[in-house]
Amino acid sequence: MGAYLARRLAFAAFLVVAVSSGSLILTRLAPGDYVTESMGIDARRETIEEARARYGLNKSIGAQYRDWVVAAAHLDLGRSLLYDRPVKDLIPERAANTAILAMTALAVATLVGLPLGIVTGSRRGGILPYVIRSTSLVLISMPPLLTSLFLIFLAARTGWLPIAGMRSAFVPEGGATLDLVRHLVVPAAAIGLPLAAMLERLQAQAMTEVVGEPFVLAAFARGVPRSRVVWRDALKPALKPVASVYGLMVGTLLSGSFAVEVITAWPGLGRLMLDALRARDVYLVTGCAGAGAIFLAFGTLLSDLALALVDPRARE
Amino acid sequence: MAAGCGSGRHPETPVSTAGVRRGGEIAASIRAEPRSFNRFVARDTGTALFGHLTQARLVRVNQATQELEPWLAESWTTSADGLRATLKLRRDAVFSDGHPFTADDVVFSFDAAYDGRAATVMNDTLRVSGQKLSVVAIDPQTVEVVFPAPFAPGVRLLDSLPILAKHKLDATLKAGTFANAWGLSTPPSDIVGLGPFVLAQYVPGQRIVFDRNPLYFRKAADGTALPYLDRITVEVVPDPNADILRLDAGQLDTTVSEIAPEAYAPLKRTADAGRVKLLDLGVAYNADGLWFNLKAGALGNDSRAAWLQRDELRRAISMAVDRQVFADTVFLGAGVPVYGPETPANKQWYWDGPKTPHDPAGARQLLASIGLADRDNDGVLEDSHNQPARFTLITQKGRPNRERAAVVLRDELRKIGLIVDAVPLEAGALIERFLSAKYEAIYFNADKTDLDPASSPEYWLSSGGAHVWNIAEKTPATEWERRIDALMAQQIASPDRAERKRIYDEMQKIFSEHLPIVYFAAPRIYVVASTRLANLTPGVLPPQLLWSADTLAVTR
Repeated sequence: MGAYLARRLAFAAFLVVAVSSGSLILTRLAPGDYVTESMGIDARRETIEEARARYGLNKSIGAQYRDWVVAAAHLDLGRSLLYDRPVKDLIPERAANTAILAMTALAVATLVGLPLGIVTGSRRGGILPYVIRSTSLVLISMPPLLTSLFLIFLAARTGWLPIAGMRSAFVPEGGATLDLVRHLVVPAAAIGLPLAAMLERLQAQAMTEVVGEPFVLAAFARGVPRSRVVWRDALKPALKPVASVYGLMVGTLLSGSFAVEVITAWPGLGRLMLDALRARDVYLVTGCAGAGAIFLAFGTLLSDLALALVDPRARE
Repeated sequence: MAAGCGSGRHPETPVSTAGVRRGGEIAASIRAEPRSFNRFVARDTGTALFGHLTQARLVRVNQATQELEPWLAESWTTSADGLRATLKLRRDAVFSDGHPFTADDVVFSFDAAYDGRAATVMNDTLRVSGQKLSVVAIDPQTVEVVFPAPFAPGVRLLDSLPILAKHKLDATLKAGTFANAWGLSTPPSDIVGLGPFVLAQYVPGQRIVFDRNPLYFRKAADGTALPYLDRITVEVVPDPNADILRLDAGQLDTTVSEIAPEAYAPLKRTADAGRVKLLDLGVAYNADGLWFNLKAGALGNDSRAAWLQRDELRRAISMAVDRQVFADTVFLGAGVPVYGPETPANKQWYWDGPKTPHDPAGARQLLASIGLADRDNDGVLEDSHNQPARFTLITQKGRPNRERAAVVLRDELRKIGLIVDAVPLEAGALIERFLSAKYEAIYFNADKTDLDPASSPEYWLSSGGAHVWNIAEKTPATEWERRIDALMAQQIASPDRAERKRIYDEMQKIFSEHLPIVYFAAPRIYVVASTRLANLTPGVLPPQLLWSADTLAVTR
């Protein structure tokens, strides 16, 4: 298990370095830069060159990459041109916000999707599985972008929930935690509900297959209560397909909830990346891409570990 | 200097007090957060808004009337030759930290604006004939501004310079770190100003909160200390759809800039239901335009250079495009046709010259005169080398108005046999192509700095950086550009307003004959406000409502 873990960690480190380096080089290779973006079309050439020199954008790509690598080796990821702050300070702030949103969405998806999948997968007929399956199909078909717009519309019409943002300007009655929870409902539901539907479908299919296995049928034949067979004997093998995608889902969620963050004005890593890309903030783009890669690598690792846990053959 | 010449004491627009009260707070939205809290180093909407709310200038151009008003300078006189302006500063103005405001702060602000190490955004605009203004503190309450050459708008130019606190920033200027001063990580308590509000809170990615500056110098007619509002919260809302829903739900009072054409219909319904007010501010002052790369040799050995840089091509394009269709399509019905660099909104300087008719047949004739004809009857014009008459038009990606405009131009020009490859590019890439003169045609904005043409020499003069069709020419490339240069010099220097108008009309006439930029339509500007917002004095330029945030109020 130790060697397995070391292999996976080495791959994760490679992924992070490759993605960060690629982002820096690609951002520099694309025409235009932070200075042309921020100074506009009518700035004089000399003013633009002065600003480029100030930001170090007049160096060659090779020189800039070399300087960045040397600094990154000392845990200095550069200074954001857009926010005039060290990238290593900006990323954790926003990554934490994304993590709060992603973990809440994942909790919603898991708590809703898995039990419903077990229910639909272990029953052959009836109204309830039919309703769950239909709802899942609708939710899977709806991209998170549309789901969030619909939920925002609902929040605006009813006035029950804040439409956007992460916290109120000043702590309202009920305290900061309740305020955060209220702000979380719309974006977490927008991300979590389609995921719950996906988990439900996966789990249902896996459960249907396991319920048809001889050892389960034998248990039924011995007269063991159905619920006991399903929740105790069939559940663990039926979790295998879900476990194999669960970690990936975590990684994708942490690194890729861009659309929902933008629409719901959630100040996470996705929005930071978008702002950095728009402004051509080369160090911030690199930092965000690196953080996204770390999340993805973490998710993949989690997925592999989970799979190894439910299926020891995967370790080999 | 002839004391008493020129302007003397100027009236300040009285502040209405009817039906408003002190207190209350409002929420506005902005698409992206500011890039800095230092207005001298960034010009984006967020930073400009920050400057409006927390800083003050020596004089103010009233955005509702376009008249010049005293602000930190309560009066001024100009010398007979117009080269010197002596400004008397207010004695009652103090910075938000209680430090007195003096002439030293004015001199410091000019020094900062011209600091080469900081590469400030004011460095280019705060010049006359390319030269700096010189500023001297006569005494703590008097400054003398010397213009390097006659400059008709005079102290109006000072509206673009926020006055900074020397006692807070002097050390950074001396150390050469002014460009990094007052970045977004600066604690709010370190940022002081003479404006109506102070920075209270900045939550990255979420909001900026401004609290009332209790030491602000301005008072209403009834003696009430301004600003009326206790707080303005500016929420960062990146998605325009979320903006509309928040306005509808009453969670926002207004937006920092005008609404997009796409938002008009849903907000009109909300306004009809009485939940918001939708204000039509009239036609915009600036319009986007189409220009070709007229730099000599820019197209290399490309045989198309023979017709791509000809006046006749641009005139034919101007005739081929149905401007009403263009306005209706690009601005979704909320636009008006325009024919030159000034829109009808700029009443003082607009030249009501002949309007180019929509005449596709006439356009084809003009194109034939430069050798473009449909030689193989395939509906596409060919040049004398039998190459299709085809060019690439770049525009800004992610700006629906510009993307739609490029599509309309492509379709309209196809009707006269011109093939246009419309290519939307990211703003940075587009500007890079423009600056390196690696383009054939662009549809973009070439904004003038101020409504007064004397303030836009960079646009008009052949040596100017905003002379977009052929930037920074060493000598005028054409006779008509030489003529415009000469007229511009006269226009800037003339103290006679009627004479200046006559000259500017002539400049616009020459422009219309050669069409270095072809203008098609300008949008109408709409802003939205909640029904409780009062004392609105909207201006056409952004921030349309918050430019006068000190007198903005909420109803009783």
